[in-house]
Amino acid sequence: MDETRRSSRRSSRRTFLSGVAGAGAYALLGEAAAQDKPAAAPVPAAPPGTVTNEAIKSGKDASMQYHSERPLTGSVPAHQHDFDVTPTDRMFVRNNLLTPDIDVAQHRLAVKGLVDKEVSFSLDELKKNFPAVTLQGMLECAGSGRTNYLPTASGTPWGQTGGMGCPKWTGVRVADVLKAAGMKSGAAHVAGQGGDPGMIATAAPVIRSVPIAKAMDENTLLAWDMNGAPLPKIHGYPLRLVVPGWVGSASTKWVHTLTVLDAPFKGTYMTSSYVTPKWSVEPGQKMPADTVSSEAWPVKSMITFPAPNARVKGSDRVTVRGRAWVGEDSINRVEISVDEGITWQRARLASRGDRYAWRTFTFDYQPQRLGYLTFLARAWDDRGNAQPMVSGWNPLGYFWNGVHRVGVMVEA
Amino acid sequence: MLGFFCQAGLAQDADKLTSGPGSTLTENKCKICHELQHIRRTPLSRGEWADNLKNMRERGTPMTDGELATILDYLSAYYSRDPAPPAAPDSLSSAGSDPIAKLLEAHACSGCHTLDKRVVGPSFREVAQRYAGEAGAAARLAAKVRSGGQGAWGQVPMPPAAGIPAADLATLIGWVLAQK
Repeated sequence: MDETRRSSRRSSRRTFLSGVAGAGAYALLGEAAAQDKPAAAPVPAAPPGTVTNEAIKSGKDASMQYHSERPLTGSVPAHQHDFDVTPTDRMFVRNNLLTPDIDVAQHRLAVKGLVDKEVSFSLDELKKNFPAVTLQGMLECAGSGRTNYLPTASGTPWGQTGGMGCPKWTGVRVADVLKAAGMKSGAAHVAGQGGDPGMIATAAPVIRSVPIAKAMDENTLLAWDMNGAPLPKIHGYPLRLVVPGWVGSASTKWVHTLTVLDAPFKGTYMTSSYVTPKWSVEPGQKMPADTVSSEAWPVKSMITFPAPNARVKGSDRVTVRGRAWVGEDSINRVEISVDEGITWQRARLASRGDRYAWRTFTFDYQPQRLGYLTFLARAWDDRGNAQPMVSGWNPLGYFWNGVHRVGVMVEA
Repeated sequence: MLGFFCQAGLAQDADKLTSGPGSTLTENKCKICHELQHIRRTPLSRGEWADNLKNMRERGTPMTDGELATILDYLSAYYSRDPAPPAAPDSLSSAGSDPIAKLLEAHACSGCHTLDKRVVGPSFREVAQRYAGEAGAAARLAAKVRSGGQGAWGQVPMPPAAGIPAADLATLIGWVLAQK
């Protein structure tokens, strides 16, 4: 299986490389002939066999805000998230490495490690052998909302509400595939590995593992469709893990191997990244020795309508709308405050959909006075956890779930 | 012609760190994989920078212990939560006033190549010995610098440098091929 995959990659790289080399030489001749032309921007091109930023952006909505080009990271602000199901072109973009251009005919998923028999499947075989499931599920980058932290934490500068989305996924249950391989006793974690290459060969592969219980959850998928269409390359074409409710990095894109382990995978993306201090540290201090691996998101919500600084008429009722979610457990209620959190009133919550889908809330409000009016939204889960006004600081800036606020101008 | 150089220079300078001892090495190592804004936007404590560099080395940045120490000292001084010292010449840069050395550092070549020793990639001398004299060698090497390459000298690929101005590239290729 590995050999098949490698050779497919080699051949696609060869084809691509010859094209690029030709284009490069042509460009060089062109520029030498006309040197008054401005030089190209000094951003290295995507290496052979990978997808360019331009190609990725062409599949995205104009409301997408890009936070960095290398690596490419982007998301839409809260008021562009006003959808019950996140459209594919508004799903956030975040890779640790580069986006591979994979030939689906050559792609296989291998299951290895503590299994009774190692198995591998093509995409067609997965579709043929296991029942397909479609569900709406939340994915959110661990660092979503990081720029809210003071002092600034290191990492992708996600905006206020960060990088998250809740599309519909279609695939097969990881549980069904693992059962087909048969798990040996002692199986504790399942690691996903994807085909994303780094800028240099020394780049460590991005491998993340999740506990068996989460891997076997009926909502944890090997997905090939997003909102009813094949995954875009940036979102993991042709196959990805979907571990809904958990930090996005658990949902390995371009997944080609699942390895059943007797303990959490030991690699830099498990031990140095995606960890928080076991005991909170003073803001601005380094990561302590005792850490906890990042798993489910705490309860969170955002106001998706109205847009910040919208103008509203004092005589009209304002309908506030938003989305609330929690990594595990379920949303109990959402409250709105118009007095900076002194008093709270309940918003209406849409009925519960899929287990890991976000829920829409609405709140009608008649403005009491003219001037600037600020709405705060706070969600509660069934265990009695609520969003804090400000999330506790941690060195890598993960899990921001502070209360979101949107202000509008009430005019006569 | 002058206009071309100025424009290229400006574009090239856009993603820079404050000049200081170790700034060139830091730029060259970090921009292999990411923009330097990731550094500029997050002043960190020395302990956090140490964690960060450890993490980056784990993720695959080619970096010796000595290089890591230099970069840590530089980042802790210039991108610390404490006030930064004023910009200073990069006394640890090997570039000096030699225009070729300056180009090699500006385009991050010297992150992986030296004149006569193999570091991450082949030495310039090895490259010259293999290719100088071959017909079309300059155009082929130039294309390779632009698109990146892998296999000719081992499995560590060279990242593409698509944005290098044509004039700088021609100067560098000419110089490299003369190093045999």
